[in-house]
Amino acid sequence: MWSDTILIVFISICTALLGEGLTWVLVYRTEKYQKLKGEVEKQSKKLERRKEIHGESLDKSQKKKIERDEEKLKNNNRDLSLVKMKSMFATGFAFTALLSMFNSIFDGRVVAQLPFTPISWIQGLSHRNLSGDDYTDCSFIFLYILCTMSIRQNIQKLLGFAPSRAASKQGGGLFGPTPGQFK
Amino acid sequence: MSTRTNTIERNSNGSPKSLNLSEICSRALKANSEWPDKDEFLDVIYWARQIFGILLGIVWGIVPLKGFLGLVLFAGISCGIVYIYSINFQGIDEEAYGGAWELVKEGFMTSFAGFLVTWIIFYTGLHYDTIMAEKELS
Repeated sequence: MWSDTILIVFISICTALLGEGLTWVLVYRTEKYQKLKGEVEKQSKKLERRKEIHGESLDKSQKKKIERDEEKLKNNNRDLSLVKMKSMFATGFAFTALLSMFNSIFDGRVVAQLPFTPISWIQGLSHRNLSGDDYTDCSFIFLYILCTMSIRQNIQKLLGFAPSRAASKQGGGLFGPTPGQFK
Repeated sequence: MSTRTNTIERNSNGSPKSLNLSEICSRALKANSEWPDKDEFLDVIYWARQIFGILLGIVWGIVPLKGFLGLVLFAGISCGIVYIYSINFQGIDEEAYGGAWELVKEGFMTSFAGFLVTWIIFYTGLHYDTIMAEKELS
């Protein structure tokens, strides 16, 4: 049983590296991205500091300044996600193809035993393409998604590609931590 | 504009990272250290959590712990330790980080996923025959 699970961990490390590599070629190394990212980071920090300093005071001119900065930051964040979009499509296609290949390799195979019974809305994932109604059987896709969740984000952080905390905090929903991490 | 450089930026250009790493580790292990850069402290919590999640996963798998209890125990221990470490050991001001919640949730999902993976792998790998025998019986 070790071989299947270790293989899946290995597969997800490879796909995570591949995904980051692809994104690096298409996005991270481009001048436009680097410029935008630097700007967003600088602005987020500036905005955060300004909010800290003037948090209590209700000075009108300060408030206006903060609002203007927020608007600028929002625009930059939008541009940044547009730049990222291109690679998200490319990696999305690549991963859909890869995933369907792996899916057919592991089709109907129980790759692991879960030490817990998953809640009902996860059972569709953890018991995908498996026969029988023993819900502690684990399918390939469930383990793969879990691996990817932890490995991809850690690789992004290790390589310094993850958006900084200040930026993701200010950007809110527009600029999630890892777009398309399940692909 | 700012004289403080971001941790992530620093990490991406190789050499300063290794220099900083040992210094950050020693600060992380010392009680009541100074953390001028908030991101640095959050990074310490993030990475400590990842390692901790994997270790707990291995332990849970070896024991083996089963069911909902394992999940709840992990969440409780993980959040509890982070809270005690930052508030009591490092003595930081939680308000500066936007409340204790921000600290407790830092890197939680990622470490939870890592924990689940190691738990499942070790549980399956070490106890496969026992699990199968139990299933036959029931």
